[in-house]
Amino acid sequence: MYNYLEGIWDARYFWTHLALSDLRSRWRRSFFGIFWSFLQPLGMTLLISFVFSRLFHTDITRYAPYILSGILMWDFLIFNIAGGALSFVQADAYIRQYKHPLAIYTLRNIITGLIVLVMGMIGLVLWVLVVMPENFGLCWIAVLLVFPILVLMVWPLATLMAYIGTRFRDLAPALTLIMQAFWFASPVYFEAKMFREGGLSKLVDYNPIYHLLQIVRAPLLQGEWPTLENYSFCIATGVLFFILTAWVGLTAEKRVIFYL
Amino acid sequence: MISNFISLHKVDLHYAAVAFKERSLKSFLASTFTRKKKSTAISDIHALKDISLNIQQGERVGLLGHNGAGKSSLLKTIAGLYPISGGKLNVHGQIRSLFDLSLGFEPDATGRENILYRGLLLGLTPKFIKQKEEEIIKFADIGEFIDYPIKTYSAGMQVRLAFAISTSVGGDILLLDEVIGAGDANFMGKARDRITALIKQSKILVLASHDFSSLRSLCTRGIVIQKGAMVFDGGIEDAIGKYQAMQGGV
Repeated sequence: MYNYLEGIWDARYFWTHLALSDLRSRWRRSFFGIFWSFLQPLGMTLLISFVFSRLFHTDITRYAPYILSGILMWDFLIFNIAGGALSFVQADAYIRQYKHPLAIYTLRNIITGLIVLVMGMIGLVLWVLVVMPENFGLCWIAVLLVFPILVLMVWPLATLMAYIGTRFRDLAPALTLIMQAFWFASPVYFEAKMFREGGLSKLVDYNPIYHLLQIVRAPLLQGEWPTLENYSFCIATGVLFFILTAWVGLTAEKRVIFYL
Repeated sequence: MISNFISLHKVDLHYAAVAFKERSLKSFLASTFTRKKKSTAISDIHALKDISLNIQQGERVGLLGHNGAGKSSLLKTIAGLYPISGGKLNVHGQIRSLFDLSLGFEPDATGRENILYRGLLLGLTPKFIKQKEEEIIKFADIGEFIDYPIKTYSAGMQVRLAFAISTSVGGDILLLDEVIGAGDANFMGKARDRITALIKQSKILVLASHDFSSLRSLCTRGIVIQKGAMVFDGGIEDAIGKYQAMQGGV
């Protein structure tokens, strides 16, 4: 295990390069370029909150940042987990030639995703500062913790999906569907209180996605510190994924090359 | 300091056959509704059979065998790319390998960018690559095309660039798979010099090739592989003789 992590560190120039070149190629020849990371979620937020605030009779100025925070985090999850299933397949030219730890090919997506997420978060913070300046306080520092926690939760899961997705190519399309199911069952766009009023409190209390979102939402949108429960739920989920992935990787890591 | 060595003891390698069986719903339905005569059973491929081999520091080994005999499989096993299914494999030393030269280029990026990418893939630092860049460009003889995207290159230019990058750094153990024979006559000569120089730096060379003259000039020991099994191990001249006899005999 230690050797494996050391191998990841040794290859650091390679995966940072891969992540940055992914970003470059994504925005190549586009006029707005990296600014799409702001514009895309902002535009989506405006569209959705315009409809939802009427449907649910909520105040649009307060509801829109809620949606935006949901979009940003959800985009990160979809990109890494659903996209992760094919990350070894896409890197086959490298895997066939040089023996790097395979987890660097999911890390590549994590890095790209984090950069896009940070850009979007800056937009979110600015928006909240204008609309709800009363929330600003020391507790905003807590938001920074969401980045290491995301890495801990999503990197092992994406790697696990990549191990399975290389062998079973049906996983990638199936994951889009599964993620959609999780989306409906989580307070991503819908407010948590809607679930509670509908008698679905369990979908909130035992849902790592809810706790993950709370780490961002409690400080920014409510002006409160996230609870210890929020953190421990996320970290426990991350550790669980990590153990599971390490266990699967023991046999799967070596055999991936056969299924490319 | 421990010297470099490669040691294989009763090594077996199987390719998992499930990897190439088609398991789609479409083919499943098709096979239930059409009556097939007899489907050919695909079983695991036994690519390397019970190979025991010791290569010590300073040896230059040539691998001979027909296409599909297992030369590349053996090289990739030594490189640690394939997991062995039985036996023991021990490799000590840093491996540099040249397998499929054209693999891993990014067609939309320029030649200069690709030097960086490939260098990073090989585990080099950006600083080191910058130092080597001019030398690589000069050796590959790409000229002003180096700032054009790789997709505009001819096949020969791609191979030359790949070769120049991969051979710009030495290692303890050099694994080469059929790379000599790429490019035009002029480049061939340069490539041979470069490889000879690399071989001098590296402690161990394993070369798979069909080119007898380069095998003779570069290697001292020869190994003949047939259908995944080692059939001969000895001096390079004897190995070539054995291989030629096999070709004539069958």
